[in-house]
Amino acid sequence: MFLGIDIGSSSTEAALISEDGKLLAVAVRNAGTGSRAYEEVVRDVLSEAGTTMDDVRYTVVTGYGRTLYKEADRQITEITCHAKGVRYLMGRVSTIVDIGGQDSKVIKLDEDGNVKNFLMNEKCAAGTGRFLEVMTRVLGCSLEDLSDMADRSTRFIPINNVCTVFAESEVISRLATGEAPEDVARGAHVAVAKRVMGMCSRVGYSPKVVMTGGVALNSNMVDALSQELGLPVEVPPHCQAVGAIGAAVAAMETYKKIMGEES
Amino acid sequence: MYRDTIEKMAFNGLNPGKAIEETKASTGKDLVGVFPIRTPEEIVYAAGCVPVGMWGGRTELSLADRYLQSFCCSIMRTNLEYALRGVYNDVKAVIIPSFCDSMKCVIENWKLALPQIPTIALAYPQQRRLQAGLEFTVSEIKRVKHELELALHKIITNEQVEEAFSVYENYRKAMREFTTLAADHPDIITAKKRYLIMKAGSYMDKAVYTDMIREINEGLKEEAPSTFKGIRAIVTGIMVEPAEILDIFEENGIALVGDDLAIGSRLWRTPSRDEVEDVYLKMAYIIYDIEGDTFFFDPDKKKGSMLISMKDELKADCVIVMMIKFCDPEEYDYPIYKAELEEAGIPHLYLEVDEQMTGFEQHRTRIQSFSEMIL
Repeated sequence: MFLGIDIGSSSTEAALISEDGKLLAVAVRNAGTGSRAYEEVVRDVLSEAGTTMDDVRYTVVTGYGRTLYKEADRQITEITCHAKGVRYLMGRVSTIVDIGGQDSKVIKLDEDGNVKNFLMNEKCAAGTGRFLEVMTRVLGCSLEDLSDMADRSTRFIPINNVCTVFAESEVISRLATGEAPEDVARGAHVAVAKRVMGMCSRVGYSPKVVMTGGVALNSNMVDALSQELGLPVEVPPHCQAVGAIGAAVAAMETYKKIMGEES
Repeated sequence: MYRDTIEKMAFNGLNPGKAIEETKASTGKDLVGVFPIRTPEEIVYAAGCVPVGMWGGRTELSLADRYLQSFCCSIMRTNLEYALRGVYNDVKAVIIPSFCDSMKCVIENWKLALPQIPTIALAYPQQRRLQAGLEFTVSEIKRVKHELELALHKIITNEQVEEAFSVYENYRKAMREFTTLAADHPDIITAKKRYLIMKAGSYMDKAVYTDMIREINEGLKEEAPSTFKGIRAIVTGIMVEPAEILDIFEENGIALVGDDLAIGSRLWRTPSRDEVEDVYLKMAYIIYDIEGDTFFFDPDKKKGSMLISMKDELKADCVIVMMIKFCDPEEYDYPIYKAELEEAGIPHLYLEVDEQMTGFEQHRTRIQSFSEMIL
């Protein structure tokens, strides 16, 4: 069996695949770098698959906290792992949009699923899950409810500030002038989508576009991005764990390559 | 033996303060600060002084904020910060070219804030290839000489300028040879060593520095052909800072086999004209002949084609763009050569940096992903 672990900034995932490449188990915990969540997700996937670490031939760790997990056989970036994970789950894909808690990435793939080019957002939180998280605080809702709230919007309210801190002030001003929270929520989704659209334009994008990461669970965000790109945006199964699944695939590929070279 | 010299040079590049102290102690010469990008250092050297490159550094910015906004580049802000804190109290004058808006402001700020350190402004002509432009460059170099004479209270003779020019010609020739040899031995001259060796030249007496470079060159000539299996990269930009970025390059098997850096090859890749006799005209012709340098008006926009040629000649795998945050001139060039690199199918990595940055995880991911993409 092959184990992949993705230690992100705000969540941790693990995936286990069998010798013949079947996905056996996936686990997600909403705690990231700095926590011991990686121990929990590993325990979860092993338990779900009814196995132990003794049966794991190779482990690859990825994500923001990848360099801190020393038990892995290899560490690979989440960009490479998302490419492998999407290829595994969705077949031929041209563009991946991964909106994570800490940063956003646009990954362009070649026909074989290899990374052809990529772009990460700069340090600021605009265009990341963090932006939406800040908005929930102002709008007085949970992250899970934000999408539903935006779905009820009847009027478009633009959020023009790119900076998350200033955007928070702008949202407060909008609410203070009587704008509906639902419309402001939709405006926040569109603001993130516009930011990501800018990144897509810089790196180049074409169908099929797939969105990964925890923010892909937010259907309003997927819709907003789809409208900005003018293309359908698909969401793979286990969208939050695509990095971990890609890491497990990388573990299998690396192990087979090593054994092939040695035999 | 030459490997010790490599280590010594790399140390100097990493520790400018100590390198400058040692230079001052060993030569007994006065120091004159020279701002980036291309200051006529020969004039300073002719005056019996050591020109010290002012490339900023990593420090907390507070005093400089009184004069420069946060959207000015970290090199200009740090230079002003250091000066206001007294780090440059030893320099007898500073020469500041007016390549960008920030530099123009710094010239005036410096005069106001640091009247005890004479400021010598320098303007290169936009139309450097007109006869008038050539003459203007000569007149600017002579004006700098005159103002330096007043600041140092000494006459600089034409003979001294000629001798200094000869020292600098030897330096430029040695550096051209070094960069060629370094590209053949990326296992010995790693990304970090290559950069720091080049940078060390900004803090040492050029005659001493040139001798050390020649020693390294001779040592490299004796080495067996390299077996380097990593990524051969061309780097473009002003400089590669902070040094942690170079560590991340090396961790990911990236060597810098060619450069288009303001602190590197842009300083020495343009040869002088043998047929020109007058030393001031020789210096002006180097400016006249510069190609593909962000800071010199280039209507043909040759940087992209030069990077592509460099990539082919050096059998490089990719180009790395080191963009100092808020450097307008470099940012203006980028979209043009980015399109050319993409057209040529050359992978390139864009890294925006500033000298004050302390967190490198995002850059680590970018660099590692780029490495994984190429290998």
